[in-house]
Amino acid sequence: MKRPSDFPIPIPTVPTHLARLVRTKKVIVVCGAGGVGKTTTSAAIGMAGALFGRKTLVLTIDPARRLAEAMGIPAVAKAPTVLSPAGLSLPPGGELSAWMLDPAVVFETMIRSLSETPEKANRVLESRLYGHVSKLIAGMQEYTAAEGLYGFASSGHYDLVVLDTPPSRNALEFLEAPRKLSGFLDERVVSLFMPKGGGGLLRAASSLVSKVFTRIFGAGFFDELREFVGAFSGMFGAMREHAVNVRELLTSSDAGFVLVTSPEPSALAETRFFRGRMLELGVPLEGTILNRSYAYTRGLVRPGDPPAGASHDLAAAFRKLGPLADLELHRAERDRRLLADLLREAEGTFAIATPHLGNGLSDVAGLVALSETLVGEP
Amino acid sequence: MRAILVTGKGGVGKTTVTAAIARAISASGKRVLAGEVAAVGDSVSPLGLALGVSNAGLSPVPVAEGLDMVLLDSASGHRAFLGDVLPLRMLADAAMSSEAIRRFLSTAPAFPEMGTLYRMLELMRLRGKGQAYAYDTLVIDLPATGHALALAQIPGALLEILPGGPIVDAVKEGLVTLHDPEKTGAIVVTLPEALPVSESLELLDGIVKHGIAARGIVLNRVPTNPFTAAELDAVAAHFESAPSLLGSRHTGRIVRANEARARLVGHGAPLLELPELPFDDHDPASHPSLLAPHFSPRSST
Repeated sequence: MKRPSDFPIPIPTVPTHLARLVRTKKVIVVCGAGGVGKTTTSAAIGMAGALFGRKTLVLTIDPARRLAEAMGIPAVAKAPTVLSPAGLSLPPGGELSAWMLDPAVVFETMIRSLSETPEKANRVLESRLYGHVSKLIAGMQEYTAAEGLYGFASSGHYDLVVLDTPPSRNALEFLEAPRKLSGFLDERVVSLFMPKGGGGLLRAASSLVSKVFTRIFGAGFFDELREFVGAFSGMFGAMREHAVNVRELLTSSDAGFVLVTSPEPSALAETRFFRGRMLELGVPLEGTILNRSYAYTRGLVRPGDPPAGASHDLAAAFRKLGPLADLELHRAERDRRLLADLLREAEGTFAIATPHLGNGLSDVAGLVALSETLVGEP
Repeated sequence: MRAILVTGKGGVGKTTVTAAIARAISASGKRVLAGEVAAVGDSVSPLGLALGVSNAGLSPVPVAEGLDMVLLDSASGHRAFLGDVLPLRMLADAAMSSEAIRRFLSTAPAFPEMGTLYRMLELMRLRGKGQAYAYDTLVIDLPATGHALALAQIPGALLEILPGGPIVDAVKEGLVTLHDPEKTGAIVVTLPEALPVSESLELLDGIVKHGIAARGIVLNRVPTNPFTAAELDAVAAHFESAPSLLGSRHTGRIVRANEARARLVGHGAPLLELPELPFDDHDPASHPSLLAPHFSPRSST
């Protein structure tokens, strides 16, 4: 059913600054607070890439798995799915794939590729602890995103990889995931669990750890953990190297970061906080997308008299529309001010508004239309 | 109710709802501690902003008469846990001053969440003057969906991993408290749109599956509805053929809010609604009077 909110979406008649990113970058990372429409925006950016004739992959690590709803991709898949929905015609070279990053798959792939021998990989994968650890490890989701992103971006298979990050605070962890994970895998930590520690201070620390952990876990578990970390230890160097590479990729000119926000004060506060952190982390912020905004009022007119022959209810409803129209105009002004603020606050970046899409996108045509509002007419 | 866990996905107004519930309960004469799960490196405290507190820290600070606030961090929980488990205080201090052990506890599987949970239990057990609890109720703002369930999943997961020992005893104690509907309840905050509602229903399922009582669903930012049901039907039908009027976008939101409401009732948890204030950018949830009737002394015990 067509809904009152299903508007013809206004499309910019010139290419936007985002269009340049979509044409030139190898990686676009989409960040922002939760609930602002990040996943849909990522899908639309991916669609824009494909429409520009680039081989594009959209990765999401959102556990809510919303990308699937917008793009019609399988919720569980071991590898990216090429999307070829009916009614979508892409130019030569253009291709759109999507994948819901599966931490277990990414982690297993990594262990297999980094282990010195297949036997060593199996020792880790078959360990009783592995099943739990790979699910529960702090920063796992973020590490997986970084690892997955790096894997796909460096494979040479895609021209553009668009990454949809988890909600804001976690997304910060995503940027720091390499560091955070290597914190757990730090040699100083690991050596505490190694059967034979180093000398002097380290041995003293190791004996303290052994005392503390045996006391709180019981002796059996400590030995098991020690065995597990031992099996893992051969991979630490390579994992750290990956982490460094991911960081290099994300801070290079091949990557661009885009912030998505809604006009809600809390989302804007998160956006500003996030922008500050991105500056600290040295990642290149390209621009901000003000999503679900009322900023566009082009083509909309104030309600006048009810149409001729209106029912009693419709006539009554029309009399009540005036204040709602004022409300929308008030919001439109607020959103235009917000856009101006966003531009002023981050010099040299862009700010784009996208309309409120009501219940969200339900089909490919909607996604194409949204991608056009983001990048302008081709 | 000793602990109210406020959860929901990001951007739904969870923090302001937490602040409002905390204020509403403390207005009923109870001593309340509002808590926020603090991540490493957080430089702002959204709950502190919502409560007007600039000095929020790892120990409770006063907000108003009968209301304190605290940041829940895992390291405090680990320190408390080690202090309780190890025979000598000195050993616990030595353990926590070891960079390697601190790092292990802050990054190893499930341990950060366990630290947070332990800290929460410690604050629940805290005694004030005499033998009374220092706080009648803790209201905790949990991290956004996805991680919200982590706190609930941790005890079970740790019990699977660990064969026994003091950590298991502590986790079991935590489970008993989390699973006791007299002591712990969860509030799910959501918005009146289709996707947020779907995700809240999933979250609600997850919470109940983990044995935590669902105390309520807060439908936040419900748009003003000036229409009668018949008027809304008539005007919505009219907009299908003539969508280019100002006011039609708001009308669409009203229609979707009605659909959201219909989907949220009948899930065993009372539905509380908070209206969106039309000409104000402030979140209405900062007005605790709207929530007070639901958290009167009678309904909160």
